[in-house]
Amino acid sequence: MTTRLIENLRENWLYWLIILFLLAFPFLVAAQTGSSPFGEPRGDRMVMRGESVRWQAVMIEIFILAILAMSYNLMFGFTGVLSFGHALFFGLSGYIIGLMLEYTGLDNGIALILGIGLAIAINGILGLLIGLVSLRLKGVYFAIFTLAVAEMAFIFFGRFALTRAEDGFTLTHVPIWLDATQNRITLYYVALGMGIFTFFAIRRLINSPTGAVFKAIRENEDRAQSIGYNTLTFKLIAITIASMLAASAGVLQVLLNKKVGPELLGIGNTVDPLLMTIIGGIGSFTGPVIGATGLHLLDTNIREATITIGSTVLHVSDFWGLLLGAIFILAVMVFPQGVVGTWIRLRMRWQKFTKSA
Amino acid sequence: MTILEARGLRKEFGGLVAVDEVNLTIQRGTTHAIIGPNGAGKTTFFNLLTGKYKPTRGTVIYKGQDITQLPVYRRSHLGIGRSFQITNIFPNLTLLENVRLASQALSGDNFRFLQRTSLLKKHLDRAVQVLAIVGLTDVYAFANTLPHGGKRKLELAILLAADPELLLLDEPTAGMASEQVPELIETIRKIQREGNKTVVLVEHNMNVVMNISDQITVMHLGRVLAEGTPSAIASDKTVQSVYLGELYDLPGKS
Repeated sequence: MTTRLIENLRENWLYWLIILFLLAFPFLVAAQTGSSPFGEPRGDRMVMRGESVRWQAVMIEIFILAILAMSYNLMFGFTGVLSFGHALFFGLSGYIIGLMLEYTGLDNGIALILGIGLAIAINGILGLLIGLVSLRLKGVYFAIFTLAVAEMAFIFFGRFALTRAEDGFTLTHVPIWLDATQNRITLYYVALGMGIFTFFAIRRLINSPTGAVFKAIRENEDRAQSIGYNTLTFKLIAITIASMLAASAGVLQVLLNKKVGPELLGIGNTVDPLLMTIIGGIGSFTGPVIGATGLHLLDTNIREATITIGSTVLHVSDFWGLLLGAIFILAVMVFPQGVVGTWIRLRMRWQKFTKSA
Repeated sequence: MTILEARGLRKEFGGLVAVDEVNLTIQRGTTHAIIGPNGAGKTTFFNLLTGKYKPTRGTVIYKGQDITQLPVYRRSHLGIGRSFQITNIFPNLTLLENVRLASQALSGDNFRFLQRTSLLKKHLDRAVQVLAIVGLTDVYAFANTLPHGGKRKLELAILLAADPELLLLDEPTAGMASEQVPELIETIRKIQREGNKTVVLVEHNMNVVMNISDQITVMHLGRVLAEGTPSAIASDKTVQSVYLGELYDLPGKS
């Protein structure tokens, strides 16, 4: 038992270190900035003010995006299934949890737990069904199909009167212990836990015999079939797991913002994880996490900045899209295999170099 | 004893009849070659046997069972393995992983989500063993770094890992340097003899076919033109006129 622990620590020490850092993060920021990790009390309520809680929100957003990108990578990076409809699972789960909390009249805690269970289950089944009817389509045709389904949901909820159409609705029945405006730190640890779970679950799955088949399908589906794999089954497993993980990210997103609206189903929630995966390193475990972290930190730190040239003041938010596009193009040119892929390649070259020297 | 039989196989692509009422019987434990000039329909016929195409008419019978409509992946579970004319491997995986996957495919270990692949030793052992048979030793190299001849060997290793009874080989020496061909043929022959396997190969290279086959079927314009032992085929006048004549006159064609 102890030898296994030591073995694990030696193999994964960097991950353990990062996890420890993330666990301590709200308190580290609090100590550094003299703010409280719980916000400031105002009467019998809390106000989410101060650097620690602000950073907690940024980090929760990163965890959500990382989970979404990791789930996308499971399909695209490891199994080779390109989907343009990932936002469907993300957004739909937001609606499911929102409807459970606000429209059923159940006790808040029960509604929350039921909602989470339902969001994950329904999206898993939906992923399976979408896969069943469309995974026989190859490559870009499957991608277009998923895009169409996601856009249908986007348009539907944009006009659905019950959920207040394109305005959406706010959550007022989140249990207080998980309320991002009261106890943000709980949500921080829940999101962190889900992120850690997703990372290690995907790693375990990909290193299993099943994951080996995923990679075989990505590499050469015809060949995988001819050596005896029913590749459709394995692609269905991948899309089902990926859609359940995306659903959990959607639940967290709604709990963080306490707002449900059709923008959750927008194409942006498909494109973001796609770009994060590509920039971070497609088909690697850490790539999507690095991509999500990098892009979101960029987003939160640069977007609100202003540039003063002489007497003209430029707001970065005005040309944010343009800047982001330029960053993507640059990143793809500098890191053609993503940050992680380029890092591995450089390290291999270095090892070859030191071996030959 | 018959292991594989094609009855009245016909395949049309639009108005084109690529394979026209072909009957063929393959005996267990033999090496049977299908040859023919370009466009003779041999690759289409081959794909009807492997299940890649479904025939317009006719049936394929394997060990007494009608497998005409069986999907590709199910056929390998019955002991039919195939190789490809265009090298068809998993390029960004190691040689070991390429072959290990083939060994795992028929084992029932595919749905062990929580098991670590590296702990499934039997498939690794099998992979190393099979790679040694075809003469590949650097098992941790990535498949796309192999030279062409090495990829052909890897292709064969992937096929062997599942230990099929019937091997369908689509131009196993395609694109190989001619000095590498004898080695590969020797390997195929060894596999066939030692494992008492049945080999069906589609070939362009006449030398390969003459040395290795027990039976040869010559196809021309989608039909069977002649069938017999290598010596009988070599002396067949019609075959000479449509096929051997053309090819033997072209040095370096193989």
